[in-house]
Amino acid sequence: MMKVLVTVKEVAEVEEDFVLDGTRIDDRFLEYDLNEWDDYAIETAVQLAEAGDDVEVVSATIGPERCEETIRMALAKGVDRGIRVWDDTLASVDLLDVNAKTEIFNAIIAEEEPDLILTGVQAHDDSFGATGVSVADAAGYEWAAVVNALDLDADAGVAHVRRELEGGVEELTDVELPAVLTIQTGINEPRYASLRGIRMAQRKEIAQQTLDDLGLDEGAVESQITLTDMYEPESESDVELFEGDADAAAASLASVLREKGVGAQ
Amino acid sequence: MDFGLTDEQIALREEVSRFAANEIKPVAAEYDRNEAYPDAVMEKAAEMGLLAPHVPIEYGGIGYSTLETAILVEELFAADPGIGLCIASAGFGAEAIIAFGTEEQKETYLPPLVEGEAVMGAAISEPHAGSDVSSVSTRAEKDGDEWVINGNKMWITNGTVGDYFVVVCETDPDVDDRYTGFSQIIIENDRDGFSAEKITGKLGIRASDTAELVFDDVRVPEENLVGTRGMGFLQIMQFFDETRTAVAAQGVGIAKGAAERALEYAQEREQFGRSISEFQAIQHKLAEMYTQTEAARGLTYKSAWGVDVDAENVTMLASMAKEYASRVATDVADEAVQVHGGAGYVDDFDVGRFYRDAKITQIYEGTTEIQKNIIARELLGKGF
Ligand SMILES: Cc1cc2nc3c(=O)[nH]c(=O)nc-3n(C[C@H](O)[C@H](O)[C@H](O)COP(=O)(O)OP(=O)(O)OC[C@H]3O[C@@H](n4cnc5c(N)ncnc54)[C@H](O)[C@@H]3O)c2cc1C
Repeated sequence: MMKVLVTVKEVAEVEEDFVLDGTRIDDRFLEYDLNEWDDYAIETAVQLAEAGDDVEVVSATIGPERCEETIRMALAKGVDRGIRVWDDTLASVDLLDVNAKTEIFNAIIAEEEPDLILTGVQAHDDSFGATGVSVADAAGYEWAAVVNALDLDADAGVAHVRRELEGGVEELTDVELPAVLTIQTGINEPRYASLRGIRMAQRKEIAQQTLDDLGLDEGAVESQITLTDMYEPESESDVELFEGDADAAAASLASVLREKGVGAQ
Repeated sequence: MDFGLTDEQIALREEVSRFAANEIKPVAAEYDRNEAYPDAVMEKAAEMGLLAPHVPIEYGGIGYSTLETAILVEELFAADPGIGLCIASAGFGAEAIIAFGTEEQKETYLPPLVEGEAVMGAAISEPHAGSDVSSVSTRAEKDGDEWVINGNKMWITNGTVGDYFVVVCETDPDVDDRYTGFSQIIIENDRDGFSAEKITGKLGIRASDTAELVFDDVRVPEENLVGTRGMGFLQIMQFFDETRTAVAAQGVGIAKGAAERALEYAQEREQFGRSISEFQAIQHKLAEMYTQTEAARGLTYKSAWGVDVDAENVTMLASMAKEYASRVATDVADEAVQVHGGAGYVDDFDVGRFYRDAKITQIYEGTTEIQKNIIARELLGKGF
């Protein structure tokens, strides 16, 4: 039996027009949805479950009741059960930093002992891009970040992965289980929840846990980071029109792309 | 009284609308122009389990209620009525097999619909028998242990793409009663003597396949009879409430899709130095479109609820929902074109297509006039 833990997050997306309220954006201008990267991580996990004999997929999320809808959609796509961590302490924290998330997920990992943990590379809203690797470090798991192809050999306990590095370079690595992989978009094509899956998901468990249940206290989620300001950056756009025939235009385009760093080596 | 949807119904609506936005909307204009059946979209719809969800769980479906089907149909039609109909109609006629079919018929014909391996159709109308269904003249005669079928069926949805059809045939012409003597018989498209000719040049829902079926001494085994010989019409009538509610849901979807597009355009388009949405004339149009759509949805949901929990008393309500929602669909699509001005008159925008598509909801599954006849008949306490 293999257990896969997928961390999922419901992220806020800001509407085109919005108003800042100090360091917050009012709820009126936010729409909530599953973090894009997590959709790929869920798909990866569900595909492993479909390919394997006895694979359990568990999702873990930190968030208020509102995000149950999003978690249930993950259950509808084939995740077996969900864990949602929330309580008044968490609700009162302004900014949940990577350390806090690491503490929480680490406690879940101690309880669940998964063989494989899949996270998104980053969350679309606060874009720390560090949680997966930080969790691996704390839990003493192997890790590989920015994975865009995975071939799991469960019997041998090895994940053959391809990692996307800067500047278009890719790396093939073997990672021993238990391991954390942070999943990059494009690794697969996330499915739609089927109507049957949506029906079955209504009966699947989403266990709510508090910090207390996880053996943590307030100290675990105290942040060393404070949000000091929030503002809209001035945005500038630059247009360059290429004139001439196709050859000339293509040559100018290529040189601009090279200048901007597209297409390394 | 509780007007809320369940968590499952909300999730169904959201995921179908996500599917429709990604897989249907971007290709809708192209299928409309080419009058082409959207095979690629159908494959994806099958993967998501959108086809024939009313088929019971034992046969691979989900056993959706009328209300759940209405929610699904509304979302599909709000994206595109043509492709929406292709998806929603993949299991047309299956309800007869579900209710009256033998175990063997159910096992043979139902699972392939859900899996996207087969598409079916319901063939009632004929060149000379439209509103007057009792004048059906396609004849099925018993010859040994086979039925021999001769006749033409007109306007059959899925006619050239369908693998099998539940066909209403006259089997006992000698009975006196207008409504008995007809039977439902399954005819597969690979039987000798079966042919289907696509009808092109439709005003709207052009992605949906419509055809004339011709049966020339088609032989099928006697086991292809669905339910009881001679009771075909009475069997079909049991589903009018359900199928009319589904067409009402199509109307709600069309109205919703047209109204949403009008709202969006009104906020983008500027004239006289301001957004046209600042003109009260446009605001009132939008207000009416949304109000009518909501009213049609209320009536449709109530009819769906009636079919599911109070089936004995829903006939008048189903006709009201079908008549009203189809009228709202055509009116709202009309206003949506008006809000777009000249841009609404060409196919760069969706509303022109919605305007053409909307009309069918007032014609098939019993015309507006027939629905009003039924409502009046119920009011005046007359039988059929
Ligand atoms: C795109 C499309 C798809 C279709 N799909 C199917 C299908 O899958 N299966 C199927 O069996 N059929 C299908 N139909 C046929 C459809 O159900 C008929 O067109 C419809 O029932 C009307 O019949 P008709 O066209 O013969 O019109 P007619 O019955 O000739 O009606 C003409 C006009 O006379 C009016 N009228 C007729 N009788 C009365 C009356 N008693 N009182 C008042 N007014 C009356 C009608 O309301 C209408 O305005 C489809 C049609 C179309 C266009």
